[in-house]
Amino acid sequence: MASKLQARRREEFKRYKEDTQREGKPFFPYAIYHDTVMSVVTVGVIIGLSFVWYFTADDTPQGDGLEAGVLGPWYADKADPGTTQFVPRPDWFFYFLFYLLRIFKWPETVLLGTVGIPTICLVLLLALPFYDRSPERRPLRRPVAMVAAILTVISMGVLTWKGATAQEALGSEIIASGEIEQWAAEQGFSDSREAIDGASLFAQTGCLNCHVYLGIGNANLGAPELSEVGATGRGADYFKSYVANPAQFGNNVMISYSYLGDENLGKLAAFLDASKGHGAAAEGG
Amino acid sequence: MPKSARRKQIEAVALYPLDWVEERSGLVGYTKWFLFRKVPRDINWMQTLGSATLTAFIVQAVTGVILAMYYKPDPDRAYESVVKITDEVTLGWLVRGMHKWGASVFIILMFLHMGRVFLFGAYKYPRELNWILGVLLLVTGMAEGFTGYLLPWDQTAYWATVVGININATGPFVGPFLAQFLQGGLAIGPDTLSKFYSLHMLVLPGAIMGLIGLHIYLVTRLGVTSPPWSSVAAGRPRPEENGPGGGRRGLIRDPAELEQAEEGEL
Amino acid sequence: MSNLHDDDTPEVPGPSLWPIGFAIGIACLLVGLVISVWALIVGAVIAVVFGWLWVRELTLRHATPAPAVAEAEPVAATAEPAMETYDRGMFLGAATIGLGGLIGAAVTVPSLGFMVLPSFVGDGVKTSDVDLGPISNFPEGKYVITTYVEDPDIGEVSRRTAFVRNNGLTTDGQPSFSIVFSRCVHLGCPIQPNGPADGSPLEYAADGKPPVTLQPVLAASFGCPCHGGLYDGEGNRTAGPPVRALDRYEFSIVNGNLILGRLYSVGEVLGNGASAKISKYYHAYPGVHVDGVERFLYPIPTPGSRS
Repeated sequence: MASKLQARRREEFKRYKEDTQREGKPFFPYAIYHDTVMSVVTVGVIIGLSFVWYFTADDTPQGDGLEAGVLGPWYADKADPGTTQFVPRPDWFFYFLFYLLRIFKWPETVLLGTVGIPTICLVLLLALPFYDRSPERRPLRRPVAMVAAILTVISMGVLTWKGATAQEALGSEIIASGEIEQWAAEQGFSDSREAIDGASLFAQTGCLNCHVYLGIGNANLGAPELSEVGATGRGADYFKSYVANPAQFGNNVMISYSYLGDENLGKLAAFLDASKGHGAAAEGG
Repeated sequence: MPKSARRKQIEAVALYPLDWVEERSGLVGYTKWFLFRKVPRDINWMQTLGSATLTAFIVQAVTGVILAMYYKPDPDRAYESVVKITDEVTLGWLVRGMHKWGASVFIILMFLHMGRVFLFGAYKYPRELNWILGVLLLVTGMAEGFTGYLLPWDQTAYWATVVGININATGPFVGPFLAQFLQGGLAIGPDTLSKFYSLHMLVLPGAIMGLIGLHIYLVTRLGVTSPPWSSVAAGRPRPEENGPGGGRRGLIRDPAELEQAEEGEL
Repeated sequence: MSNLHDDDTPEVPGPSLWPIGFAIGIACLLVGLVISVWALIVGAVIAVVFGWLWVRELTLRHATPAPAVAEAEPVAATAEPAMETYDRGMFLGAATIGLGGLIGAAVTVPSLGFMVLPSFVGDGVKTSDVDLGPISNFPEGKYVITTYVEDPDIGEVSRRTAFVRNNGLTTDGQPSFSIVFSRCVHLGCPIQPNGPADGSPLEYAADGKPPVTLQPVLAASFGCPCHGGLYDGEGNRTAGPPVRALDRYEFSIVNGNLILGRLYSVGEVLGNGASAKISKYYHAYPGVHVDGVERFLYPIPTPGSRS
């Protein structure tokens, strides 16, 4: 059963041992010197990161430690099991698994993303010496192995990066990241208090779960992009009536937002009316 | 120049403790063998990643022990004890920072080391078992990261753990039981932190240390590979193994050998 | 038999299948401790039967026959049949295995039980009949973000949030509430209501209990910040990976106050408000299907989750 291959492997190992005995160098000091230098670098990096983390975050004397520096804050807020405002994320080296879960967004496929694919990958990794049986070790003569390795590294890198930058179009994230002010600057409604309040409402009420606005939001549910909806010239009253009762205008997919109340609807309408599209700010629109 | 008798005497006295230990345990001999064993002469810097990973683990172990002297593993006191370590304990910020960033460095080095071993084909015969041990170390290392992430008991810690435990719960048949065991009940409660602390401090480090011991034993027993592209790689084919003309023996029939075969000599 | 060997090689028992059966019995016993008494009994029976067969094989095989010398002796008046004797070595071997096994079990089983069982006995975190305050605090038709401490004895770690909506009265004139748990049923992240806060928060504190915070919101849907799950106003999944509708709480009304009951999982909700039809299941973990074909992947609910 492939005993010729096995004999070839054993002979190579025998040659390896002879070569090492004959031509090799003692571990101390030749190899252990390299190891020591690398270990010093490792410890130095760890200490360096600690210094950068500690001294760039919250350097005010009486600070609360919650201000983030280059490498994050000293502390996050204390655990609150009843929060409704927090965006959970795992440790960075789990981002690839985290993004895998976002890819599998159909309920039937949840099991694949949580348990299925990670288990398969782990089994493939463990069993590697048993399905890659050729004695060849030179990289340029192992094309399958090299291509597989490069693909794995690239995909894990991409998954990790996308996990790091993933953002839900949820109100709290948008408001926290200062997106509202950016919208106001770009659309030119920074001086309209009502439009700014309307923008916050727009973010909070989940409109971006179906619509796209200035590059964020959800595009695949068939709802129109609203970045330039104000340019149609229909006026705030039209938007107010529409949002309060979309069915009246023939839209049977969008729910009625009349529960927001008259004042909030007015603000939303002002925001939509002020959204006249790119370059509107320059034109003074 | 040859050593004088006086010098030999002094050396004998100085080395007496080592000889005493050696005669009774053989340990000195093992240490000498470990330090002075031969390794291939063309090994390169990429092959220091394994020992760098070990160094990162030792940093984690030492800083972890120091942190454990001040950390309180109770949901009502954990966060405050971490604040105290960072603010009040002398150089506590440095120990905490080293432990926090050492974890990331440890994981990165493990992946780099795994990549290097893959590149060199050093998982092939006779080192398959070592590769398996290495993958197990990767898994336990990441489990260490997961259990340790809960300990500061802040928002990121709590919710990352909720999701991690629920990922376990989606496993068919036994998933919910595994999740309930990890949580210590039907929801994350006061026992969860203690259990994670015990796993993080005792169970997983014990497993990692045992696996590292086996891993290093195998490395020293089986030897470190030469870079496969090296022209002086240990284990390279001998020239005399090739047939006439330099090719692999058997590919081209050598007329002289054919004659010998006919005469019944081969 | 060992006295027939002159060299040092130890005599190892031959291969045998009984230990495998014994191990299966022990495993069944330990699993049964967690899941059900019947599995425990079956496991104990298997372990005893196979254990006995194993010990029997170890000891009986090497019974030495009566020495041939005895037959040459003149038959005594009391003709005793030649007795089967045990080789001393085999007896000591069997005793070691037996006592060793006993000691091992005496140490391992309680330790394993101590490690594993407490997670599975009892009701876990008790809702402890949390009093959320008078129902007048809950305006009709609006969701109120209600934060409370489920079990004051274990403190802040049992703080939870639910979205409570007063649905008015059912057709029978009973008060109806939709009390939706704020954890996503994909993987447990904290859900956010899609809408602005409406007014400032209220606080209600029953005697000696931690205060309950009430914050009305103008929201008719919910979203999850982790992997993109979306729910409608009744908790049904509208988009993303959630595998069922949001969990809900049972409730009761005592002296005009809303009292929380147990958590349960929901397959889906048909209709809305006071006339909604809720398909109710045992309280399952996030990510666990309770209906559809995938529910067969999770056949056994964990202990304590059945209401």
